[in-house]
Amino acid sequence: MTTAALEPTVNRASVSRRRWSSIRTWISAIIIVLWCLLPFYWMVVTSFRDVGYTFDTTPWPTHVTLDNYVTALSTHWGNHLGKALLNSLIIGASVTIIALLVGTFAAYALSRIEFRFKGIVLGVIMGASMFPGVALLTPLFQLFTNIGWMGTYQALIIPEISFVLPLTVYTLTSFLREMPWDLEEAARIDGCTSAQAFRKVILPLAAPAVFTTAILAFISSWNEFLISSQLSSDKTQPVTVAIASFTGSLPHQEPYTAVMAAGTIVTVPLVILVLIFQRRIVAGLTAGGVKG
Amino acid sequence: MSTAVTESAAQQTLSRASAWARRAPLLPALIFMIIITQLPFVATLVISFIHWNALYPNDIGFDWFSNYAAVFTDSSMLKSVLTTVFLTVGVVLISLVIGLLVAVLLDRRFWGRGFVRTIMIAPFLIVPVAAALVWKHAIFNPSYGLLNGTLTWIWGLFGKADSAPQPDWVSAHPLGAVDAALIWQWTPFMMLILLAGLQSRPLDVIEAARIDGATEWQVFRHMTLPHLRQYLELAALLGCIYIVQNFDAVFTITSGGLGTANLPYTIYQTFFEAHDYGQASAAGVVVVIGSMILATFVLRTVSSLLREESR
Repeated sequence: MTTAALEPTVNRASVSRRRWSSIRTWISAIIIVLWCLLPFYWMVVTSFRDVGYTFDTTPWPTHVTLDNYVTALSTHWGNHLGKALLNSLIIGASVTIIALLVGTFAAYALSRIEFRFKGIVLGVIMGASMFPGVALLTPLFQLFTNIGWMGTYQALIIPEISFVLPLTVYTLTSFLREMPWDLEEAARIDGCTSAQAFRKVILPLAAPAVFTTAILAFISSWNEFLISSQLSSDKTQPVTVAIASFTGSLPHQEPYTAVMAAGTIVTVPLVILVLIFQRRIVAGLTAGGVKG
Repeated sequence: MSTAVTESAAQQTLSRASAWARRAPLLPALIFMIIITQLPFVATLVISFIHWNALYPNDIGFDWFSNYAAVFTDSSMLKSVLTTVFLTVGVVLISLVIGLLVAVLLDRRFWGRGFVRTIMIAPFLIVPVAAALVWKHAIFNPSYGLLNGTLTWIWGLFGKADSAPQPDWVSAHPLGAVDAALIWQWTPFMMLILLAGLQSRPLDVIEAARIDGATEWQVFRHMTLPHLRQYLELAALLGCIYIVQNFDAVFTITSGGLGTANLPYTIYQTFFEAHDYGQASAAGVVVVIGSMILATFVLRTVSSLLREESR
C-alpha cells in the first residue's frame, strides 16, 4: 500500500530529473557542434562575400558572389590551386597505393609469423612514426639536390611514404591481429595453397581494414606541409603549399576572401570524405591510437 | 613404420619450405620499410657531427660535438626550447580537459550522438595549414574576424557598436593564438582515446556502485577516473610527441615571430636562413631524442594497457 502510494512521486521526480539531464546533454552537444563548426562556417561565409565587403561581419552570408572562387582558381597572380589539387591527388594516390602494398605484407608478417627481433622491428617502426619531419629535412634536401630530383613528384612521394608507412603498418597490424585466422587453416585443409588461402579468404575479410587504412594514409599525405614546402616546385606543389603561399592582385596585401575560398576548396573534399567514412575512420584512429 | 617416419620427415621439410614460402615475399617489404624510414635519420645523425655551412662549401669537416654545444648555448635555440615546452604543455593540458568533458558527454546515449561525434572528429582530419589559416584570418583578424565581430555584435545590443573593443588577437597574444588553433585541432584526438577508455569500463561494477548509493560524481571520481588514468597518460604522451613537432600552425599564424618560434621552426630557420646544415641536424637529433624519451613512456603505457585488457 505505502509503496504503491510512493511510486508515482518517485517516478515523477526521476522523470523530471532525466528530462533535465537530457536537456543539459543537448545543450552541451550544441555547444560542441558550434565550437567545431564555427571556424568552418565563418570561412565559408567569408569565401562567398564580395571583396568590397570584406569587413562586413554580419554572421550570415551577405553580398554573395562566386568571384572569390574565380580568383582562387585563376592562375593570373601566380597561384596554381587547380594544378595543386591535381598534384595532391597524384601524390596522395601514389603514397597510399605504395604504402598499402608494402604495409599489407609487412603487417601480415608482423601479425602472423613468429620471428626473432619482431619486438625490435615493431619498436623501430613505431619510433619512425614519431620522428619529426624537420629532422629529416637536411639529408633529404641534400640528397635530392645531388641526384637532381628537387621539385619532382618522386622527391615528394618517397619521404611521404616514409611518414605514412609506419602508420599504415601499425593500424593494419592491430586490425589483422583480430582476424579469424582459423578460417585460413580451414581453407588450407580444404586444399588451398597458403597464397590462395590468403587471397581468397583473408583478403576479402581484411578489405574493410585495408580500406580504412587507405583513407587515413591519404588524409595524412594530403595534409603534409613541411617537406612539400621545401622539396616541391611550382609544377609539383600540393594544395597545402599552394594555399600557404597564396598571393592576390595587390602586392603586400593578403587576399583574405580569396584565401578563404581556397581554404574551402581544399577542405571540402576532406569533410565529405570524413562524413561518408566516419565510422571507419573512428575505428581506424582508435585501433592505431589505443590498441597498439 | 618406416613409411610413417619418412612421411613425417617429408612433412617437416614441407612445412619448413612452406614457412619460408610464406616468409620470403614478406622480407622485401620489411627491408624496404626499415630502409625508407630509418636511412634519412641515420644521415641526419651523421651530418650532425659535421661542421657544414652551405655558405662556406670549402669548410666542411668532422667536428665531434661542437654542433651540439652550439645548440645548447645558442640563445635563440634555448628560447625556442622553452617556447616549445610552454606551447606543448598548454595545448596538451587544455585539450585533454576539454576532450575528457566531450568524451563523458558522448559516452551517454542521446539522439544525434553519431552526428556530434562525426562533427567532432572533423577538426582533427582537416588540412592543418588550412585550419591555421582559418584561425588566423577568419577568427583572429582584427577587422573582420569572428571574435571581434562577436564583440561588435554584443556591444551593438546595447547600442554602442562603435565603442566595442577590437583587439588585434595575434599580436596581443601570439602564443595564445597558436594555442587556441592547436587546441581546437587536437581536442578530438584526445576525445577519441578517452572515449575508447570510457567504453571499456566494466559497467556491471559501476551499476553495482550506483545501486549501493554512489552519486554520479563519486562514480566518476573513484571509478571512472582511475580506470581512465592510463588512457589519459597515453593521450597526453601521444599529444606531446605530435605537438612538440608542430610546424604548420606556428609557420602559418605568426611565421615564428613574436616569441612563438618553437624548436621545429628554429631548426627550419637554421637550415634555410643560416644554411648551417650541421647545427640544424644536431638540433633535429635533439628533438628526436626528446621524442624518443617520450615515446618509451608511450610504449610502456600501451603495453600495460594491453596487459590489462588480456587479463
